[in-house]
Amino acid sequence: MARIVPGDRDKGLILAARRGDEEAFREIYRTYREPVWSVILSLIGDPLQAQDILQTVFFKAFRGLAGFRFRSALFTWIYRIACNECRNHLRRRAVPAVPLEDILGSRYEADDEQGPDRPRTRTDALKSAVLALPFKMREVVVLRYQEDLSYEEMSRVLGCPPGTIASRLNRALVELESQIRRIEGCP
Amino acid sequence: MSLSCRILRRGFVPYLEGELRPGRAGRLERHLAGCGECRTLIERVRAGHEAGRRFGRLSADLPPRFPAFEELAAGRPARRGLRPAVAVPALVSVAAALAAILVISGGDSPLRSRDSAAASRDVKADGAFTPLAIREFATNSRNRIVTEGYVHNVYYDKEERTLHIKLAEGPRDTEPFVICEIRDASGLTIPREGSRIRVYGTARFDAQPGRGWHEVNPVMEIAVLNR
Repeated sequence: MARIVPGDRDKGLILAARRGDEEAFREIYRTYREPVWSVILSLIGDPLQAQDILQTVFFKAFRGLAGFRFRSALFTWIYRIACNECRNHLRRRAVPAVPLEDILGSRYEADDEQGPDRPRTRTDALKSAVLALPFKMREVVVLRYQEDLSYEEMSRVLGCPPGTIASRLNRALVELESQIRRIEGCP
Repeated sequence: MSLSCRILRRGFVPYLEGELRPGRAGRLERHLAGCGECRTLIERVRAGHEAGRRFGRLSADLPPRFPAFEELAAGRPARRGLRPAVAVPALVSVAAALAAILVISGGDSPLRSRDSAAASRDVKADGAFTPLAIREFATNSRNRIVTEGYVHNVYYDKEERTLHIKLAEGPRDTEPFVICEIRDASGLTIPREGSRIRVYGTARFDAQPGRGWHEVNPVMEIAVLNR
């Protein structure tokens, strides 16, 4: 994902939006919809749900622009809203996990040893491995490797110190390695 | 794990990326030479880091198209059959509304305020949302509305997994009423029963077997007028 270069342009857009310039709202949406979409999709994994969340994120961002204090870049602020929305969404959607065999019976596994959702390509396996990470770990992997954010920027987005981000990223990478081995069927 | 392990491990990823300062990199290498646990760990981090880099190089699966502002402003419906957390048209119309509201109110958006300041403002000033009394829902044809009433009760619908507020015109009225459906409660003030509130959202009629009522769904904002 190409890096967004924040700066005076964003400040100008925010100030214009606050003055009621509709074109400024449009420009903010045009600039940030793609990276925000990518973050949401990587965190959620489902394009339909991601689209709902994207709408909510921009709704909240536009609503909150009047209170934006310029203490962070606009993109870190919007990413923060996006991460929070994804977290809230997953929390709301959380349902107790029931093993599939409990529902379909033990013959199910014997009928299809591959499993219906087994990733077909290495790319699928990689995406599945990232999605299988606990949410906090997924956040740091997505922000670091997909969005190319620095520790400082991740710290602003996630609201925790850079040292915590570094430790979490270590744990996330170890877990990612485990997930890939598991998905690819390595011992 | 010693304290030095814990501190030095924070530098694993910068080290693998070649971003660690020479002094710290040297200290880490000396530590790795004598600490088997950290050597094992950094190899796993290295494998995860490579996977992360491969993940970062994947092209993003973009949606077929992003909603365009122009289309949305024209009122074209959002994706049909999907849960409209905040409908796409609402996104843009809210942006447009915000533009108007910010100008009208000098930056103090009623969409933002949840206090008594909201109570003193005439809803008609809110422009983009049509003021609508609860008894007028039956004949309403407007989409975005703002209505006021007393909270009869607040309950969680387990089936729909949404929070519902039953709103009536008078503090002791049960009819007419409107059901305000909250799909996303984050950032919203959930009012107490008996309080008077103003609700911004989309007016709908919910027709289901055995019931039929008017709704504000989804609720976009709630202003508590008196507790």
